[in-house]
Amino acid sequence: MKPDPRKLGAALLGLCLVLDWSVFARPTAAEAPPAIIVTSGSARTYRLALQEFADRSAPSDAADAKGFRSQLLTGLEFSGLFDVIEWTAFLGDEATSELTRAELLEDCDSWRQIGADAFVEGRLERSDQSLTAQFQLWDTASCRKRLSKRYRQLAGRDDAILARRMADDIVENFTGVPGVSDTEIVFVSTRTDNPEIYVMNATGESVRSVTSNGSINLFPSWTLDGIGVVYTSYRHLNRPYLFLASRSRQKPAKLLFPSLGSERHQYRGVFDPSGRKMAIVVSAQGPAEIYTINEDGSDLRRLTNNRSIDVSPAWSPDGEQIAFVSDRSGSPQIYVMGADGSQVRRLTFDGSYNTAPAWSPDGAWIAYEARVKGQFDIWLLDVEGGQAIPLISHPASDEGPSWAPNSRKIVFSSRRRGRADLYVVDINGDNLRRLTRGLGDNTSPAWGKARP
Amino acid sequence: MDVATDFWGERVAARRRELATWGMLSFGVHAGMLAVGLSLSVSQFSVPSEVISVDLVTLPRAEPARLQRPEPAAPVAPVEKRRPREVVLPERPSAEPTRARSKPRPQPAPSPPVEQNYADVLAELRKEAGETAPTPRPEPRVASVAPSKPSGPATVSPEVAAWMRSAKAHVRRSWVVPPGFRTQDLEAHLRVRLDRQGRVLGNPEVVRSSGNPWYDEGVLRAILKASPLPPPPQADVWSFVFVPEDSL
Repeated sequence: MKPDPRKLGAALLGLCLVLDWSVFARPTAAEAPPAIIVTSGSARTYRLALQEFADRSAPSDAADAKGFRSQLLTGLEFSGLFDVIEWTAFLGDEATSELTRAELLEDCDSWRQIGADAFVEGRLERSDQSLTAQFQLWDTASCRKRLSKRYRQLAGRDDAILARRMADDIVENFTGVPGVSDTEIVFVSTRTDNPEIYVMNATGESVRSVTSNGSINLFPSWTLDGIGVVYTSYRHLNRPYLFLASRSRQKPAKLLFPSLGSERHQYRGVFDPSGRKMAIVVSAQGPAEIYTINEDGSDLRRLTNNRSIDVSPAWSPDGEQIAFVSDRSGSPQIYVMGADGSQVRRLTFDGSYNTAPAWSPDGAWIAYEARVKGQFDIWLLDVEGGQAIPLISHPASDEGPSWAPNSRKIVFSSRRRGRADLYVVDINGDNLRRLTRGLGDNTSPAWGKARP
Repeated sequence: MDVATDFWGERVAARRRELATWGMLSFGVHAGMLAVGLSLSVSQFSVPSEVISVDLVTLPRAEPARLQRPEPAAPVAPVEKRRPREVVLPERPSAEPTRARSKPRPQPAPSPPVEQNYADVLAELRKEAGETAPTPRPEPRVASVAPSKPSGPATVSPEVAAWMRSAKAHVRRSWVVPPGFRTQDLEAHLRVRLDRQGRVLGNPEVVRSSGNPWYDEGVLRAILKASPLPPPPQADVWSFVFVPEDSL
């Protein structure tokens, strides 16, 4: 294309003007260049240096301090927010006994040179009655203390609990949302052949059984205080009844609603966010319907009333609404209704089979199972916008999503390794981890709130 | 066990015929269990609270603001990015992610020796961020912060444009964006005083907060950690805008 001489001239003139202007007008404020737009790069984690903890009570035996540090490390890594730098990377003093402020500032410089974003210095003190732990979190960018905290717990309790709580506080310091390494997950496992209820740490350790009755036990959920577990068991009359058990098995399980009788089969029961009543699924000869009932068995109210099946109630975090599954349209789909059963509205329209809704604690999302190509995937529904997006897609089935209390992670069961195991994943699809290891089928996870 | 597993899912529990089968299989034996259950009270379940924690928090917190819920369209990208290739979703065409976005390109090559105006620089910066075409996103958000004249394109020399690119790449390496922030519509605007060597002088100023104090704090520490930046064309106050990739 031949350049138009007039345009060329105009451009040259413009260029001259601009150059003149830029030379003569340089000192004025109007010359300031535009903003530099920085978009997020690949760095997804903070590099955190975790120094050895000093054990004041037993300086000669550092094993306890090492164990504590290792628990803290597990909790930090679970968040997916940190890469922990091995302390051997640091050439200074290994064990941080009582560090002075000047020494800490010196450490800060050293850690920054190694590439750490932050470092943690802490110490333990153990007495016959209690364990005290404290730490300081320093930022190497500013050599400033970000957080300092002290914890105490009675002797005999697991050190890991305190270490995880510390980890969750460090996560909160960076994101405004506490970590969830110090929470628990209740689930169903067939590791003893029959399905029993178990509880484990959210990081996958410390599995202990809640039931061991040899019957069929299903659909566990938490009481509001995180101490009790509600579940369906066939142990009574070999029919499905709801039971309440203590997670630590301090008391025998309690049959919740014997007054409903054996003709009315009770399935899933979930407490509303106030803890005052439960939504339950009852099937009496006819199709399953959703009811609410007080914990003492009073005030039974039927919310759904039709010829189709209505199951899987999931409370909104404000307790005003219940998401549920109904096949009233001909195939199972997710609906929402008021807590009194009014204003039923269909939420999912894509796909022929959408089940198992779970409302995120922040209210923004409903996670659910969507059948795609004969297998289930986990999808997220934006409650306000109505848009559904896939979170977990795998040729094997992924089922039963449940939210972490900080709404940042989801636990679900997957058959990607044959038997069903539990996995956690961040809600953007990152940081997938397997929690259970092929002992029977592990299904129906329900993530609890902070440990009581 | 698979048959039984299937039954435990409520979707199958809902099949009345199978329910009936199970009902017939049932037998009434465990009346004793009922008595045990009745004798218990829920309120008995209690575990002593053993942890006492003392807060000595030193980090100033602007407000106890919880993270805002994401914009409706924003969260598509991070999820979509991670989806395994082999999965085809023919059953739900309408839910296909609407905005495919390519990965950020490699770091910028040296700038071509041509005069660039503001719009060009902006376009180039956006291109590096992975955007191929101008989006419906309101463009003037940046212009409102840059202290240049709002009307008419501000001009930068090739030298300045090249420095802006390298400064951007440099700061970006220091910036950690937690996953939770990537799905949100957050944007923080900073003014940073740099000396001739690229060192950050004093504390950068947040001229427009993202609304999330933790996000702002992360941006501030990214600038501090990036110091010294590549030596700028002149010691001056420079404007930076921080946008998580996935919310663009």
